[in-house]
Amino acid sequence: MYKNLETYLEEISHFLSGRAERQEILSEIRSHILEKAEQEAGAVSEASLEKVVAAYGRPRQVAEKYLDGRPVIAPAFKRLLFRYTTLLFAIHLVFIVFAVIFKKSFIIFPFFFMPRLGVIEAVIYLPAAFLTDFGIVALLLYFITQSDKDFKLPWPKFVPDLDEVKAPAAKTLAARIATMVGAWIMLTLTAVAVKLFIKYQTIFSVSFNFEKFRPLLLPKPGRLVSLIVIVMLAAGTIGLFIRIFTLPRRFACWLDVVSDSMALVLIGLLLRQPYAELFAVKIPPVFLPKIRIALTFTLLFAALMIAIDLVSNLVRLGRKRLAK
Amino acid sequence: MDNELGSIETEMKRGFLQLLVLIILEKDAYGYAMVRACRKLGYEIEENTIYPLLRRLEKRGLIQGKWELNEERPRKFYAITSAGREMRNGLLAIWKKQDEIINHLTKEK
Repeated sequence: MYKNLETYLEEISHFLSGRAERQEILSEIRSHILEKAEQEAGAVSEASLEKVVAAYGRPRQVAEKYLDGRPVIAPAFKRLLFRYTTLLFAIHLVFIVFAVIFKKSFIIFPFFFMPRLGVIEAVIYLPAAFLTDFGIVALLLYFITQSDKDFKLPWPKFVPDLDEVKAPAAKTLAARIATMVGAWIMLTLTAVAVKLFIKYQTIFSVSFNFEKFRPLLLPKPGRLVSLIVIVMLAAGTIGLFIRIFTLPRRFACWLDVVSDSMALVLIGLLLRQPYAELFAVKIPPVFLPKIRIALTFTLLFAALMIAIDLVSNLVRLGRKRLAK
Repeated sequence: MDNELGSIETEMKRGFLQLLVLIILEKDAYGYAMVRACRKLGYEIEENTIYPLLRRLEKRGLIQGKWELNEERPRKFYAITSAGREMRNGLLAIWKKQDEIINHLTKEK
């Protein structure tokens, strides 16, 4: 028994763990090393063995030559690991935003449970959500790789890669002027809304005769809804002023992500209003449920469209970043 | 450049070594003896490469291994099988064809 040889073989054995023919492999290596040490040094000794062992190679490197070369995830699917993770995470993120806004748990049977979260909890939850999504996608691609079948995995057409998105053409003078006019109109509207809000604590009036101002909504919801609309107007104005200039693709994507997230939060706040106690004027009871349904449907439809845009922008940004 | 050459050489050696082993094993031999035989011919084999290769060839039924325990030190001797001979002849034909092509092209220049 030579200590350095046995230690070396033990290390190789560690990396060969699980292989039935492990002992035979080790016996063959032992025989080779002993014979070489004897041939080269005249006799086997700890010193001669040390030299031969060093020349034979690092234990892991030696063991890997016996192992099956199939990768954990096939090279053809590696790109999809990043793409699917970002897509899944973006959807996950939208659910997290909804869970925070609506203060509710979601279950999408049987795979997905989104607990009710506060803002801080949601921020802490994000890395765990990302790792879960990454793990799920990696596991799926692992099984597909091991099956050795030629699966053609899809990639949704609504989310092109960032490098497939055409670079925005330099804005013409006419386009710049149009955007600038739009921005000034929005700025004027925002200013009027702010002025009305300061004066009447609401921006919703029954008539356009502001001398005899009659609020449309009750004071409390009127104040909140007015503030939401003012924030939306202000955000739209800022967005338009930024878009006067030609933006790099990445920056334009980030701008969309920020405005989409903000819009989702604001729509969430609007959806939480109890519509039965909303109006300051008398509305025939027969119309109230219809107004409620129409408002809810419109807001939910807008939220869905914004969520799809948010997901697609996040995937574009995330895929590019992860692929680096 | 040296790195690139080394990596292409490794690729080329992979197939060549299989053919070499199938030729050497017309006469029974064990791993270290094969390494030494090649070294005498001026061809260096990475020692830790030969045994995994022998194991793969044995699994494919191209060679057959047998432990010899009567000698001073236990050794696993390998011998070529009939399937191995068939494979060797096929590989030699490919090798000769490739050699002809390379000779022809390099002479042209």
